[in-house]
Amino acid sequence: MLIFIALYLDPGSGSFLLQLLIAGLAGAGIAIGAQWTRIKKLFSKKGKNVQDENDEDESDDE
Amino acid sequence: MMKTRATTNNRVLSSFRDPSGFLFHRDGLLYRQVNQGYAADYEKLISSGLYESLTKSGRLVPHREVELVPEERTAAYKVIQPEVVRFISYPYEWSFSQLKEAALATLSIQKRAIQRDMSLKDASAYNIQVHNGRMTLIDTLSFESYREGEPWVAYRQFCQHFLAPLALMAWCDIRLGQLSRIHIDGVPLDLASRLLPRATFLNPGLASHIHLHARAQRDFAQANVQEARRGRKLSREALLNILQSLKTTVQKLSWKPAGTEWAEYYSNTNYQDEAFRHKAELVGSWLASLKPGLSWDLGANNGYFSRIAAQGQGTYVVAADIDPAAVEANYLQCRKDKQQNILPLVLDLTNPSPAIGWENRERDAFLARGEPDAVLALALIHHLAISNNLPLERIAAWLAVITKTLIIEFIPKTDSQVEKLLRNRPDIFPDYSREGFERAFTKHFRIEKCAAIHDSERILFLLKRV
Repeated sequence: MLIFIALYLDPGSGSFLLQLLIAGLAGAGIAIGAQWTRIKKLFSKKGKNVQDENDEDESDDE
Repeated sequence: MMKTRATTNNRVLSSFRDPSGFLFHRDGLLYRQVNQGYAADYEKLISSGLYESLTKSGRLVPHREVELVPEERTAAYKVIQPEVVRFISYPYEWSFSQLKEAALATLSIQKRAIQRDMSLKDASAYNIQVHNGRMTLIDTLSFESYREGEPWVAYRQFCQHFLAPLALMAWCDIRLGQLSRIHIDGVPLDLASRLLPRATFLNPGLASHIHLHARAQRDFAQANVQEARRGRKLSREALLNILQSLKTTVQKLSWKPAGTEWAEYYSNTNYQDEAFRHKAELVGSWLASLKPGLSWDLGANNGYFSRIAAQGQGTYVVAADIDPAAVEANYLQCRKDKQQNILPLVLDLTNPSPAIGWENRERDAFLARGEPDAVLALALIHHLAISNNLPLERIAAWLAVITKTLIIEFIPKTDSQVEKLLRNRPDIFPDYSREGFERAFTKHFRIEKCAAIHDSERILFLLKRV
């Protein structure tokens, strides 16, 4: 097993397992969120929200 | 160059947990030794383009590789020299937006690392510093190769160092940011979960990353992870979803100061415009001739005078105030103006950040983190002497320990701000007068300049330590 061999930080067993548990939830949440944003856009006249600077960071990479 | 931080045999004492390498000082300069065990990850950080991408956007501190005899030769792979951060600050000294930006910076770095097959192996708030006006990762050795299918090792640390204090500040009370000072590895999630209001169970992000997380920590504390996961893997996409969920959760947290004492001080001060203008002019002209490299503006409020101090070439101003709302306002203004040489910090001068952590030497005391060339103490003395009953003599002695050059404003009892402080209490301050002030301060300083501020009874002093 790869895991826990090279780790210097204890990830915490609960924290580790929780990520496996919530992965599906996070994915579903994001999908619902994305749809919701699309719906809101349909009814909103406002332009695109101002991006925070971390979004700008990420666009550097893309 | 910063005053040397706590060191043993040149090694920086905050730098001991990660076997990948450590920081050390030599001839007054700061270096980082990269150990052989970290060689492959270090090379991958460079060759993957992650280093270039992150340093270009100011998210990772740039460094150069140097030919230098390593501090511990047997383990050494390379020695690097990182750019020096002007002033080290800690999460419990940050305002809400500073901590929030540090959190978002960490998530952004992690996302970009994953895209290049690397991952943050820690997510400590102490690894983030304000550098050139940006929240910047200062630990070059924080990256490791991403192992496909594995959860994020630093998820717990991220939630404890960033999400829990931010949620508590936003939902309960801004002062709970101070919990980070007690809990050096971040706010325990069971504590955060107990303190947060029930309404946060309806917030999907907080419900999963704090409440459910705390529960999982309790229920799986003794679990054998390999057995419990039954071969399940976390895909890269799922990991990115968790990062996105953390980001959304953090972004949605907000705090608006309301009812804090001094946040609107400048709008309701008794200062006539002329007095304010004259004080600014005096401070500006005195500082222009002093040309301090590092200034501390103590009791900086929203940073009006810090901005005047920051006009000097190459100068850097640490703007400390006890009021989280004033510091927040100052920080947001700096961000708006893209002002890079002011660092607003939350600090109670009557109880400044102590040295904490292992051996009490892991995180330095505020006063040990650099020697200011000049200190501004404007509209401050009455808070210390009257609100906090500090004898003028003790205040003078303390300031003389900190700095050689002091610009300090004396505010007499007849000033409306002092009258307010004395309104409901007996005046037990017979020495609080201009004469008493000069008597106390001239034991440690000589008066270089002194000017009455127009349209007020206040006096501005430029003092030099004797």
